[in-house]
Amino acid sequence: MRNRFIQAAITAVILASGVSLNAQDLAAFEKKVTTRKLANGLTVLIVERPEAPVFSFFTHVDAGSAQEVPGITGLAHMFEHMAFKGTPVIGTKDYATEKKALEKVERAYMAYDAARRSEVGRDDKRTAEMEKAWKDSIAEADKGVVLNEFGEIIDRSGGVGLNAFTSSDETGYFYSLPSNRVELWAYLESERFLQPVMREFYKERDVVMEERRMRTDSNPIGKLVEQFLGAAYIAHPYGYAVVGWPSDLTSFSASDADKFFKTYYVPSNMVVTLVGDVKASTAMPIIEKYFGRLPSRPKPEPLRTTEPPQGSEKLVTLTDKSQPFYIEGYHKPSATHPDDAIYDVIGDLMSSGRTSRLYRALVRDKKVAAASAGFSGFPGQKYPNLFAFFAVPSPGHTVDEVRNAIRAEIDRLRNEDVTDDELRMVKTRAKADLIRGLDSNQGLARQLGTAQARFGDWRELFRQVDKIDKVSKADVRRIANATFTADNRTVGVIQSTQMAKTKGSE
Amino acid sequence: MRPLKKLTLAAATVVGCVVAMPGFAQVTDWRKINTPALSEFKIQEPKRIVLANGMVIFLQEDHELPLITGNIAIRGGSRDEPAEKVGLASIFGQAWRTGGTKARTGDAIDEYLELRAAKVETSADVDSSMVSMNSLKQDFDDVLGVAIELLREPEFREEKIVLAKNQLNTGISRRNDNPMQIAGREAMKIAYGPTSPYARVEEYYTVAAVKREDLLAWHRRFVHPNNMLVGIVGDFDSAKMEAKLRAAFEKLPKGPEAPKMTAEFPDPKPGVYFIAKDDVNQSSIRMVHMGVQRNNPDYYALEVMNEIFGGGFSARLFSNIRSKKGLAYNVGGGVGSSWDHPGVFQISMGTKSQSTSAAIDALREEIDQLHKSPPTADELKRARESILNSFVFRFDTKAKVIAERMNLEFYGYPADFTAKYRTAIEKVTTDDVARVANKYVTGDKVALLVVGKAGDFDKPLSSYGQVSNIDITIPDTAPGTVKPAAPTGSSTQGRQLLDKVVMQMGGAKVLSAAKSLRQNSVAVMKTPQGEMTVEIDSVSAFPDRMRQVMKTPMGEMTMVAAPGGAFMLGPMGTRDLPSSQKDQMLREMNWNPIAVAQHASDPKYTFNIVGEETIGGVKTQILEISADGNSTRWFVDPASGRVLRSSTRATGPTGPTEQVANFSDWKTMNGITLPMKRTIMQGGKEAGTAEIKTFEINPATDTKSWEKPPAK
Repeated sequence: MRNRFIQAAITAVILASGVSLNAQDLAAFEKKVTTRKLANGLTVLIVERPEAPVFSFFTHVDAGSAQEVPGITGLAHMFEHMAFKGTPVIGTKDYATEKKALEKVERAYMAYDAARRSEVGRDDKRTAEMEKAWKDSIAEADKGVVLNEFGEIIDRSGGVGLNAFTSSDETGYFYSLPSNRVELWAYLESERFLQPVMREFYKERDVVMEERRMRTDSNPIGKLVEQFLGAAYIAHPYGYAVVGWPSDLTSFSASDADKFFKTYYVPSNMVVTLVGDVKASTAMPIIEKYFGRLPSRPKPEPLRTTEPPQGSEKLVTLTDKSQPFYIEGYHKPSATHPDDAIYDVIGDLMSSGRTSRLYRALVRDKKVAAASAGFSGFPGQKYPNLFAFFAVPSPGHTVDEVRNAIRAEIDRLRNEDVTDDELRMVKTRAKADLIRGLDSNQGLARQLGTAQARFGDWRELFRQVDKIDKVSKADVRRIANATFTADNRTVGVIQSTQMAKTKGSE
Repeated sequence: MRPLKKLTLAAATVVGCVVAMPGFAQVTDWRKINTPALSEFKIQEPKRIVLANGMVIFLQEDHELPLITGNIAIRGGSRDEPAEKVGLASIFGQAWRTGGTKARTGDAIDEYLELRAAKVETSADVDSSMVSMNSLKQDFDDVLGVAIELLREPEFREEKIVLAKNQLNTGISRRNDNPMQIAGREAMKIAYGPTSPYARVEEYYTVAAVKREDLLAWHRRFVHPNNMLVGIVGDFDSAKMEAKLRAAFEKLPKGPEAPKMTAEFPDPKPGVYFIAKDDVNQSSIRMVHMGVQRNNPDYYALEVMNEIFGGGFSARLFSNIRSKKGLAYNVGGGVGSSWDHPGVFQISMGTKSQSTSAAIDALREEIDQLHKSPPTADELKRARESILNSFVFRFDTKAKVIAERMNLEFYGYPADFTAKYRTAIEKVTTDDVARVANKYVTGDKVALLVVGKAGDFDKPLSSYGQVSNIDITIPDTAPGTVKPAAPTGSSTQGRQLLDKVVMQMGGAKVLSAAKSLRQNSVAVMKTPQGEMTVEIDSVSAFPDRMRQVMKTPMGEMTMVAAPGGAFMLGPMGTRDLPSSQKDQMLREMNWNPIAVAQHASDPKYTFNIVGEETIGGVKTQILEISADGNSTRWFVDPASGRVLRSSTRATGPTGPTEQVANFSDWKTMNGITLPMKRTIMQGGKEAGTAEIKTFEINPATDTKSWEKPPAK
């Protein structure tokens, strides 16, 4: 009785304090944001946040591994690496000479690659000679390189967090600088997308192979996820590893990367977001001056392929010495679908914190797992994607046990309404998390830039919270029943050949 | 403190607003781009309050967002736990919050907070534990209330201790799954020593040793206001917050001071250390020796040296190893420093198995070069600029400012330490950098660790010196522990039961004449892909030779364990088996009843009855056989003398495992009776069967078959 009274009191407090957070925030926030579309099609967002004399930026390029086809898998990510290699001005001793040397590298590679890959009548001796000629040409071209000058300029200008990422959906570039370096930044960031030079391409390919070995080949869960996505998608490129298949990674050329760049690094396909101690009135003209240099090119054609309905359950098993792991995924629509907020609610309800259903069932009560969660948007959000559940079994517990426990929670979602308190927690968290997300320049730049690119309006970041607020119990049940069905499911497991024995705690 | 210069307006004026025509290539020299002085930035120092009971409080107003965040740091962390209870601080850190308070369970607190989208969490680190709070500002009183309840009246409910232990045990069972994790952990053990409070890790038995009373005792020992630092940042009024905190904390009585930590820090034993991990294609390489403490006067020169050597995109390691040689994706390193004890000099890198040696050579070359070609004036300038120009990022949020101040207070550093850092960096010269490089980075002292697949290395690790293999097998019991089940001698009943088994098999005379055994069998294994049939031709030559030829759908595979070594021969070629695998093969072979029977009077072998179990309606007696610290159990039908089941515990790389087999279909050939069918059980379920088609005692074998074929 006492508990119930307390809960009712809490609920009243939340209702009184929580609900109005949102519309207010957007109005206040909007005043700080300036949006501009340049003549070449580039979208620029500036958020004035003069908390300290620094700024962060995020360049969102609407191209990821989903833009690849077999033969060039991994190329979006490869280009991301190349965007740190400099320009005709940065990273070279003498570009005219280096350019010629790079052209020679490319010709030598084309010859070698064609010879090496010929299926019939390959002349091994000749191929080896061509390989040597190619490697010699690389050594020659390397003589013209000033190593990592691009990164060095940023380092010595006080840049921090210099990095980039490639996902299935997009490629993002970011770092932070003191706020007196806006013009230097505008020059550097536009310059690398105006005239990137594919120098050291083939050595960087080796670096990316090492990245693959680290993340995928030598990592059991990485290995499983690669196979899991490959099984879940038969048509759509979400089934390809972002890092690329080894054969493609050891085959594609600098020319391929250049072609990818010219097709997708088009101003109208990019959003640049600046957040921090910058004034839009002074920064926008600088950005226009430098980014205006990027030539306008046609926006790339949208992807044609959509994943056909799955129609049958699939199972991927990795038998490995490592401890067991479980993942299952269900196809669902893209982030722009009106139901997407419902999936977000389900993800939060199932996974967020110690009140979440999966924690309580698998970790706290059944003790079959050390961690478990369900989340929407795997491996991306732009196209129809997966809602995935995973669990890390406790020592001695099997993938069957965690699977059964996850399925029991899914059944509850399908057959019973979620409680008022649970739904309230989800909605309150969405609002609070939005506010918490506003406290970092870099985080804001990324969130706003991504929302702008994905939905055509950064305000969607705020509106998503409104959409979550409108989700009902009936919505959750409807979506759970429509989505979490056997023939829409792909399962991935690591079966351990050396299962740890159950360890009683006492 | 005024580290940043004043803005000069003129320089900030901005050039033209006209959008340049696309394609209009105006190549700009980046060196000529104007950089105005950075605008004046007054760092907002937090308010420092010291209560009479010794608690130090920092308050930092930040009105940008309607949020309040607080941290309460308490002295005492994992370095203070007893060696036999490693994991105690971590369990304390978890169960403190989840175990609730006298008034409320942890679950009730979870709901109370989640309805507010607020957090109160507890955790433990190497030198402290922490209560952290985060909420919308209107909920802060509720959140603070929970935190105070936890500080004053934690309950550590038993079921949450079990949960916390389950989390730690999960971590233990999985700690050898990822090569980088292995390398990181073992490198620290090499650097500090395996039993150092800064390197040791929890084990199943140290976790099991932690009791609720230990958590209560920890709380009594450390959680006192004089051991606490409180920092609150967010949207509040400092005067009101101070009054609130005084009301909450002033009445807490002073307690005993947290004891000061003392530990020895000898340099690690230099040498070559290796950990075998065969399921990877990339080696994780570490080079370590002892580093420095942050109050070392050479700290600033080392910061500059680190920047040149291993920090950032333009550092030597990144440029030479990654960009120039394409040998790595992740490579970095430097002389580490910690606040109140020495850090570790460490280089870490991942490279494909086939370039392991090339990578080690390249790293050694970089260490050499650090001495032979000391940093140039340009390198120094670049490193200094990088450190100084990015200095502002240490204070670019109010939360960072208060965190920095709390750190200085916690470790007893002067409040202006960070401000002085800037000046000290400005003074570092190339001579300083060369001097500290020679003093603190010593190639001869470096311990090299490689985790990987030795068979694929470009050169054997032994070319760098005597290789010490590190065994990362997860132990079940403390080293040196006498297993409680290990009997000191045999019981009469045990011997009698063994005699029955020996009689049933054909008698001691027949069995002792069997020096070797050849079996042809067909095994059907259940795998996730379906059933797999394997034909096995095995020769066991007791006690030290075994050869198995397996015909599988994937091809033929031969495994040999012999005094000359152990190897595997398959479609992929020949490779050596690690000694742990060899030992296991031979150990299993020697549990064969024929082999055991030959040791019936060996004093090293003990036979005891340890229980009873009914198998398929037959009441069996459990005969435990121990030898050389290992043991197996036979479930014997006392009427017939048949072994119906065997159960052997073994310790694999992921911890203890249990192998159970059920026997049936006895047949007699040449006077020896053996079960023809063996059903292998895993986790209580049938995992496969093996049926003996023919067996031969003392078969003829080719001596060559024990030798590794020469490499092609």
